Amino acid sequence: MLRSLAGASLLMPGMVSSLLGADDPMAPKQPHFPAKARRVIFLYMTGGVSQVDSFDPKPKLTADHGQKLPNKKFLVRSPFEWKPRGQSGTQISELFPHVAGCADDLCVIRSMKNDDNDHFGATMGIHAGSVMFSRPSIGSWVSYGLGSMNQNLPSFIVLAPYLPYAGGQVFGSDFLPGAHQGTRIVPGGEPIPNMTRRSESAAVQRGELDLLAEFNRRHLAGRPSDPSLAARMKSLETAFGMQQEAPEVFDLSKESDATHKLYGLERGSTQGFGWQCLVARRLAERGVRFIELIDSGSDLNKNWDAHFDIQTHVPLARNVDQPIAGLLKDLKSRGMLEDTLVVWTTEFGRTPFHEKADGKGREHHSKVFSSWLAGAGVKTGITYGESDEYGIDVAKDMVHFHDFHATLLHLLGIDHKRLTYRYAGRDFRLTDVAGQVVNGVLA
Amino acid sequence: MHVRLIGLLAGAAMLHAQKADPAEFFESKVRPLLANHCYACHTGAASGGLRLDSREALLKGGKSGPAVVPGKPEESLLIAATAYTQDRIKMPPSEKMEDTEIADLTSWVRTGAVWPETSANAPAAAAAGYQITPQQRAFWAFQPIRNPAPPKVRLPRWQANPIDAFVFAKLDEKKLTPAAPASKQTLIRRATLDLTGLPPTPQEVDAFVADKSATAYAKLVDRLLASPRYGERWGRHWLDVVRYSDTAGDASDYPIPQAVLYRDYVINSFNHDKPYDQFLREQLAGDLLPAASEPEKWEHTVATGYLAGARRFNVNPLENMHLTVDDTIDNFGKTVLGLSIACARCHDHKFDPIPNRDYYALYGVFQSTRYPFPGSEKNHKPNNLVPRVQNEFDTVLKPYLDDVYKLSSRISKLEGEKRAFVEGVVPGRKLADILSEIVALTKERQPLLDQAPNVQIAYAVAEGAAGNARIQKRGDQKDLGDEVPRGFLQILNGGPVKDNKTSGRLELANWATDTANPMPARVMVNRIWQYHFGRGLVNTPSDFGKRGTLPSNPELLDYLATQFTQKGWSVKTMHRQMMLSQAYQLASEGDAANLNIDAANEFQWKFSRQRMDAEQMRDSLLQVSGELELGPGGAHPFPHMGTWQFMQHGPFSAVYETNRRSVYLMTQRIERHPYLGMFDGADAALSTAVRSQTITPIQALFSMNSEFVFARAKVWAGRLIAELPDDRKQIAAAYRTAYGRAAAPDELGVAMQYLAKTRKTLEAANVPQADAAAHALASYLRVVMASNEFLFVD
Repeated sequence: MLRSLAGASLLMPGMVSSLLGADDPMAPKQPHFPAKARRVIFLYMTGGVSQVDSFDPKPKLTADHGQKLPNKKFLVRSPFEWKPRGQSGTQISELFPHVAGCADDLCVIRSMKNDDNDHFGATMGIHAGSVMFSRPSIGSWVSYGLGSMNQNLPSFIVLAPYLPYAGGQVFGSDFLPGAHQGTRIVPGGEPIPNMTRRSESAAVQRGELDLLAEFNRRHLAGRPSDPSLAARMKSLETAFGMQQEAPEVFDLSKESDATHKLYGLERGSTQGFGWQCLVARRLAERGVRFIELIDSGSDLNKNWDAHFDIQTHVPLARNVDQPIAGLLKDLKSRGMLEDTLVVWTTEFGRTPFHEKADGKGREHHSKVFSSWLAGAGVKTGITYGESDEYGIDVAKDMVHFHDFHATLLHLLGIDHKRLTYRYAGRDFRLTDVAGQVVNGVLA
Repeated sequence: MHVRLIGLLAGAAMLHAQKADPAEFFESKVRPLLANHCYACHTGAASGGLRLDSREALLKGGKSGPAVVPGKPEESLLIAATAYTQDRIKMPPSEKMEDTEIADLTSWVRTGAVWPETSANAPAAAAAGYQITPQQRAFWAFQPIRNPAPPKVRLPRWQANPIDAFVFAKLDEKKLTPAAPASKQTLIRRATLDLTGLPPTPQEVDAFVADKSATAYAKLVDRLLASPRYGERWGRHWLDVVRYSDTAGDASDYPIPQAVLYRDYVINSFNHDKPYDQFLREQLAGDLLPAASEPEKWEHTVATGYLAGARRFNVNPLENMHLTVDDTIDNFGKTVLGLSIACARCHDHKFDPIPNRDYYALYGVFQSTRYPFPGSEKNHKPNNLVPRVQNEFDTVLKPYLDDVYKLSSRISKLEGEKRAFVEGVVPGRKLADILSEIVALTKERQPLLDQAPNVQIAYAVAEGAAGNARIQKRGDQKDLGDEVPRGFLQILNGGPVKDNKTSGRLELANWATDTANPMPARVMVNRIWQYHFGRGLVNTPSDFGKRGTLPSNPELLDYLATQFTQKGWSVKTMHRQMMLSQAYQLASEGDAANLNIDAANEFQWKFSRQRMDAEQMRDSLLQVSGELELGPGGAHPFPHMGTWQFMQHGPFSAVYETNRRSVYLMTQRIERHPYLGMFDGADAALSTAVRSQTITPIQALFSMNSEFVFARAKVWAGRLIAELPDDRKQIAAAYRTAYGRAAAPDELGVAMQYLAKTRKTLEAANVPQADAAAHALASYLRVVMASNEFLFVD
C-alpha cells in the first residue's frame, strides 16, 4: 500500500503541493519572530485546584485559622505540609511531591486571575479568552498560527477521557477553519475517530485505496483548475498515513519498563494520567503542535471541585503528580524541554475561607489562583506574582488569562496582537482587546 | 493589606451606615446590589411588572403593590422578599443575598430610600449628540435600491436573461471568457443537489436527457421547486443563519423539544414560498400579527421561535438575559439587515453609523419581550412557553410539572447520595436504603410521566412589560447610563416606537420589511445567489457594512433586489430567474487564462464546483443505498421533560441516530454533532453565513473507515444483488445512481477486474465464498462513495 500510494504521490507531489500552497490550512507557517518553543503540552486540571493547598503557601492563613473575616466567613488553613524545594526553594505542598522534585524547572505563577466564578465560564476563559462567548480555543489559534509539523497527525490533539465543563467547546475552532479544531482522543479502542481499518483485510483496503486513487486521477484529468480536488486526494493519503502512524503512536509496548515506571504507568494500561502524559510525549515527538491533557479525575463529578472536602484533592493529586513529573523528566532527558512549552493550569482557585469555622471544603475562587510553566523560553526556578497574605486576591503582578495567553503565544514566537482572524466584519484575537506579555516569566 | 482585604470582602454590614452621606451610601451600597441581584429581571423587562431602577418605580411597585415604603422596612415588600421572610415571593430566586446586603438595603429603606439624581441618570450629552455624517449616509449599502436597466452586450444569447446581461458585461469588462454550457447530466445533478440536497435518480436523469424540448430545463427547475425536499434543503440554509439549535446553550445545554416546530415552520415556509417580508414579520412579531384562523395564529406564534431561540448563557441564564438580548440583536442585525449591530453594544459602532444609543433603542424592544425559559441548573422547570390553547401552560402544564419535579428532584438528590456513598465521602445511610428509595420514587413517578397532559406548547416569545432600556456602559449591565427610548436604527430611517404601551416588536417588523429599507431585499437576494453560485455578490453575506466586501456586481445586485420586491418577495421566483440564467448553466471548467484574472471566480465566468456539504453528503449516501426515510422528521427522543435535572456537572448531551434527512438531526449548542462537526456543519452557537469547505484527513478517515459508510455500502450491495442479475448490471446501476451518468466501457472493465480480484483477496481473508461477491461489491461501492466525483458537484 505504501508503495502504491507513493506511486500515486509520485504522479502528483509537485502538483499537490503547488496546488495546495497557500490554501492548505495545515501547511507549516513561520512564527512572527524567532522563538524556542515549537509546541505546547497543556495540562489542564478540571474543577479548580486550590492555590493555597498546592503552589501558594500562606503561613498567615495557618496562623489566623478560624478567624472571622468581615464577610462573616472563617479562614481555613491548608491541612497540607509545605517545604521549600530544590535549589530555588520554591514552596510546594505535599500534594505534589514528584512535581516538587522538578521545582527548579518550574515557573510558578501565583497571581493568575479569571473573570467568572463558575466552571463553565472560567473554563472557557482560560481556554478561549472569553467567559461568555464561544471563541476558538488557544490550541486552535496556535494551530492556525503555526500550522502542522506532521501531516499524518492532527495539529491539535486533546487527550481527554472525560469532557471538561463546557464540553467540546473547550477545544473547538469556532470561527477558525474546522481543520484547527482539537481532535479529541479517548483512551481505549479507537483514540482518533475512524482511524482503524474496517475493511476485511489490509489487502482489501489496499485495493480500495488504489482504485479510489485511480477514480480520482481520472476525475481530476478533466478538471485542472480546482485545487480542492487535489487537496481531497492529498487528504486521503494523509488519512492513510494517520491510520498507519496513529496506532504506533498509541502503542506503548516498545516503551521501556523504566519509562513506564517514570510515568507511574502499568504496562498495558490505558488508564490514568500516566497514559495521557506518555502519549503526549510521543505526540510531541511526532510534531503535534498543541497537545492538551484534560484531567477530570474519574468523571465530572469527581474532579478538583472540592466543595465537600479539600482532602479529595489528595487522590486527585496522586493521580497526576508522578505522571507530570515523569513527563517533565522524560522531556528533559530527551532534550525536548528545549523546544516544548509545558503549561499546567486550572480554571480558578478555591476560597481560603468557609462559611463554617470547621468547614472542610473550599468554594470557587476566580480572584486568584496558581498555574505554572516549564520548558522552552521560560525563566525557571522562580515564582512570579503574589496573592495577598491569605490567598484571597492578587497582591502583585496580576496575570489575567489574557496576559497568560499573550505570554504563551509570545513563547511560540507569535505576537498576540497580530494573530487575527476576520469574522463577521471584525478581526478577532485570542486576547480580544487586552493581554500583556508577562516579561517576568521569560528566560 | 488588611484594609484592602476588608474592602474586598465588604458586604461588611456597616450598621453605622446612616451616619454616612445617604447619596453616597446609595451609590456605594444600594445601587450596586440592586444592579447585581435585581436588574437582570427588574429593569425594562420588569418581571411581575416591577422595575427597580428608579425611586418612582419602587414606590409604584409591581403587581404585588409598592416595593418600598420609605422609612418602613417592615412594611416594604422589597425587604420581605429579599430577606426570604415572605412565603410567596423570595428574591432573588436563585440564591438569597448576603445578610450584609439585606442589612444595607433595610438600612437604606429605613433612612428614607434616598435615590440621588446622579450623572448616571442624567442624559449623557455626548452619546445623545451622535450625528450620522453625510459621508456615512453615502455608503453604498444605505442607498435606495435602484432598478438599473440591463446593459447591452455583444452576444445576443447573453441578452435574453437580464441576469446574463449584467454578468456578461462584467466578464467583458474584466476580459474574462465564459465557460461552455454544462452537459445535461451535469446540469440535472447540479440543480437537483442545489434545490433538494439530493442527487437525481437515474430515472430523473433519463427523463431530463430525453426531453429535447426548449422548456426541458425550466420544467426541471419547476419540478424541483415543487418537491417537499426543496424546503428541507433551503430551510436548512436559513437555519444556519439563525443559528438554529435543539438546545439552549446554557451551561447545562437544556433541551428544547419544541424547537422542531420552528424548524418545520421554516421548512414549510420555503416549500410554500411564503413571501420573504411576511416570513420575516412572522418571525419577529408573529404573535402580534392578525391571523385569519386558529391554525394561522399558531403558525405565527411558532414563527417567533426565531427570537425565542436566542442563546441562553451560563449557569443561571436568567441572570444573563442581557446576553440573550444581545444575541437576539446580533442575529437580527446579521440575518435581516446584514449589519453587525452588536458591535455597538459597548460603544458607538467603529465603522458603521450605528450609535450606542441605537443599540439600546433596539435593546428596549427585546427587553420588553418575554422569552421562554428552557430550564437551567438553578431551576430545572421550563417556564413561559406559549400554549396553543390560552393559559394551558399555566393552568395545566405548570401544576403538572410542579408535581413531577417534586419527585424528580428527590430522586436526583438520592442519586447524589448514592454517588457520594459509592465515593465514600458521606457514610450516612445504608446504600440499600438509598437504592430502594430511588426505586420506589421512580415507580411512583412513572404514572405521572406516562400521563403527561397533552398540551401543545411552543418555544416562542410574548409581549413583556413595555419599558425602555438604559445604556449599559461599556456593555456592563451593572453600570447603567441614559435611558433610551425604544426604537430603530437611525441610518435606516428608524424612529422611536410610536405605541409606547407595546414592546415595539410589531413596529420593528414593519420597519425592517418596509421597502424603503434597502437592506433585507439586498441581503436575501445575495444569500440566494450565494447558495446557488457558491459565493455571494457581496462575499460577506451577513455584513453589508463598511467592514464587509463591496458587491462584485452592484448593478446586478440591485436588479435582483428590485425584482425580488416587485415580484412579491417570492423566493422561488428568484430561484427561477437565477437558475434559468446562462450563468448558472455554465460548465465548471473553462479557459485557463481566466485563472490568472479571477481564480476565485468572483465574476461567474464558470460555475464554481462545490464540495457537498455535510447534509448533502450524508443524505446522498443514504439515498444511494436506498435507506433514506423521507417525510417530516418529527420530534426528537429527548428524555421526558419531567425528569430533567441537567447541571453543568452533567449537561444534557446526546446523539440520536436516524435515517431521516440530516436537517432533522438533533443539534446542540454546546456539543457539536460529531458528524456535522467533522464536515463543517453549521455551529449552532454562531450565525453561519458561509460554511467553510475544509478538506481534512479526519474527513477522509470517515470515508475510508467509518461504520456509517460501511453500513451504507453493505445495504446498497445487498439491494443491487437482489435486484439485478449480474455484476455488470449492478455496476452500471451504481454509476447511474451515484454519479448520474452511465459508466464508460473501460470503467466497467476496471470494475469487473476489481470485483474478481477482490473476491480472491476476500477469500484469502477468510470471507466465505458465498459472501465474497456481496463483500466485493460493497468494497467497490465504498470506493464510489468516497470518490471525488461523488463528493463534488460540478
